[in-house]
Amino acid sequence: MNKTAANTHSHVKEPLIRIVKRDGLKLSKLVLVYVGAILLAMIIGCILLASMGVNPFKFYEKMLTIGVVGNAFPYKCFEGYIKLFTPLLIVSVALSLAFRMKFWNVGGEGQFIVGALVAGWISAIIGESAPSFLVLILMSLGGAIAAGFYGSIASVLKVKFGTNETLMTLMLNYIALYLIMFFGETKADWNILLNEDSARPIFKTFFENAWMPVIKIGSFSLNISLIIAFVITALIFVYLKKTKQGYELSVVGDSISTANYAGMKTGRIIIRTVFISAFLIGLAGAFYVSTAHSLSTSVTNDVGWTGVIVAWLSKLNTLAIVVTSALISILRYGCTQAAAEFASVDSHFADLLQGIILFSVLACDFLTRFKVIINLKRRKSHE
Amino acid sequence: MKKLLSMLLALAMLLTCMVAFSACGDEAANNSGELTLENVKVGAIYITSQNDTAGYTFAHHNGITTAMEKLGIPAENLYIVDNVAEDDTAVSNAIDTLAGKGCNIIFGISFGYLNAMNDAAAKEEYANIAFSHATGYLANETNFNNYFGRIYQARYLAGIAAGLKSLELGNDALGYVAAYGTEYAETCSGINAFTMGALSVNPNAQVYVKTINAWADETMEKQAAESLINTYNVCVIAQHCDSAQPQLVAANAGVFGCGYNSDMTEQAPTSHITAPIWNWDVYYAEAIKAAVNAPASEFVNNIGIYYGGLKEGFVDISPINAAAASEGTEEIVSLVKDLIISGEWDVFSGVKLSYTQDADGNWTIVKTDADLVTNTGEVIVTAGGASVDDGVIKGSMNYYVAGVVAE
Repeated sequence: MNKTAANTHSHVKEPLIRIVKRDGLKLSKLVLVYVGAILLAMIIGCILLASMGVNPFKFYEKMLTIGVVGNAFPYKCFEGYIKLFTPLLIVSVALSLAFRMKFWNVGGEGQFIVGALVAGWISAIIGESAPSFLVLILMSLGGAIAAGFYGSIASVLKVKFGTNETLMTLMLNYIALYLIMFFGETKADWNILLNEDSARPIFKTFFENAWMPVIKIGSFSLNISLIIAFVITALIFVYLKKTKQGYELSVVGDSISTANYAGMKTGRIIIRTVFISAFLIGLAGAFYVSTAHSLSTSVTNDVGWTGVIVAWLSKLNTLAIVVTSALISILRYGCTQAAAEFASVDSHFADLLQGIILFSVLACDFLTRFKVIINLKRRKSHE
Repeated sequence: MKKLLSMLLALAMLLTCMVAFSACGDEAANNSGELTLENVKVGAIYITSQNDTAGYTFAHHNGITTAMEKLGIPAENLYIVDNVAEDDTAVSNAIDTLAGKGCNIIFGISFGYLNAMNDAAAKEEYANIAFSHATGYLANETNFNNYFGRIYQARYLAGIAAGLKSLELGNDALGYVAAYGTEYAETCSGINAFTMGALSVNPNAQVYVKTINAWADETMEKQAAESLINTYNVCVIAQHCDSAQPQLVAANAGVFGCGYNSDMTEQAPTSHITAPIWNWDVYYAEAIKAAVNAPASEFVNNIGIYYGGLKEGFVDISPINAAAASEGTEEIVSLVKDLIISGEWDVFSGVKLSYTQDADGNWTIVKTDADLVTNTGEVIVTAGGASVDDGVIKGSMNYYVAGVVAE
């Protein structure tokens, strides 16, 4: 309608709704907008919870305290939280590397699975005989390198043939998922991943040498992978800020032609960065199975998708990723804790609540980047 | 500024956690009072949602809530983690969650939970919690048992009903839609028991089995039933799968059927004869009582590895539908049911049953010693031998008996 109107009139008409890019909001305002979005989502959640006969305040109290209050084993809550937080942090940081180059790696799920699967395979071969540190190092490296190459399929094809990396990584997710399902459901002599004692196919528990070590602080076990995750985050922060390679990848992200003009080998930079991104995701996968002591077909726990949300909400800022992934893990872990408290609340409902909160935050994220201008005077001026 | 804010946020989080951490220790200590039916906390780990309206989780949730109601345990003392995948981490997280809520007994209903439950039960910190796992084979001597039912006994009874129908119709072909075949003792023992029940009344009966490689897939269940009717002209459709689709197909095709899990006469009023069913609440009530009456370390001692059958009322068949069943079904089935309940005889033994009717119309059971033979001719139990309990219960049964025709 606007088009025809514009064509018939000689002067250009302003549309009814315009979306204009907004300049950087003040941080205080930004935080205010996010808090507002969360509050709004929680009010909607209140109505839904009340309609199910659940006291929303009690539910939110359990959710925000990740169930620690009144818990018989509070340290378990922190351990559970860390199990969720560690992979999310590493994956989000890794994804942000690729995203900075505007390489849309949505293949986190697949790369995570490949890392987990290869680590699991290595643990099944050498886990019984080799010393623990060697097993752990080989598992981590093997998983990470395999995932790195798996991720490189999309980047090499993009660089050589200009294929679409979003579609490519997305489809590679499904290949990896079906691969792990195949290993999980095929009982055969060659399949060393399965438990030999079970008539039904199930993944076996790793040998103890393949278990991620923990530091005991009283009853609480601090998983080493959390410390490694923070180290990786710090290294990536330095890599992006202080190294030549970090600089190169942000130039490629801003404009490939600029990078080309400056004499950078853009193809190589893309392939290298995506390799690092997928390498880290594979490492997270290896850490995860080593923490879990076993493989599973639902090993990713959607971390490849949640990581995209975290990276995006954090505007690819490494420090912001730490905070965002910590907060989103509180949301996710807290929701399960709260849902267990009330028999009528199942995990679908908990997912719905999380969805409402994330949606509302993402919607307001849009408002922090863009201004919506509604021009109501427009019609009058033409009559 | 941004960095500062992030750090502040992180600090705030940490503080909240610390405060909560210190507060909760006291509360947990208060729970050490005596355990009664009023304050016992029950935990459950489900493979799908407790809000399902049919299927496996629904049946278990129904069993737990019914048992709690019967025992007079307040409904809010049930804690659930649902949609837990068969993944050791997911399961051990669920266990941690439920243990944290102070649960005294934790049930896990899906097979793949066994390792995580076994590990959790062995932990010192969880020594005061009883763990109970359905369909598995792992247990310890103190606080971790497993439970399942002798559903094959109910299937034998359904087989009798189906065999009588085939005699009446003069058609020896029976059909069976199965989730899996010999891969699982659970499925193949059901097929075998059904076949042996049918053979006890109709020695010429043949059971054609179609497996669909899924526990619940309505489309495949429907297609399998259709294909059995079209290919083998079967006169009865039995099933080991979740939905009532096979019974609906049977009703439409004008043949008869034996459902599973619930009385499917509701779905197929004129063609459904009877269905093997579970009464999960029977076990859940026993287990919760056991957890309340003695410390968790005595749990296995008191309840054992639980494999209830017809005798305990844990499994049964739904009321025989007079509109579909053949004459004599009610009588013969109740005779055999009594025999099994008495403990004198069980299905997979070297003794075959048959039935004779006297002049007054009264039925009696005739026992004959005969080998239990697979459909490839291998002898499993020699004539007169005892029933192969282990094969069904520990899950090693992996053959079909004579009379089964698998595709």
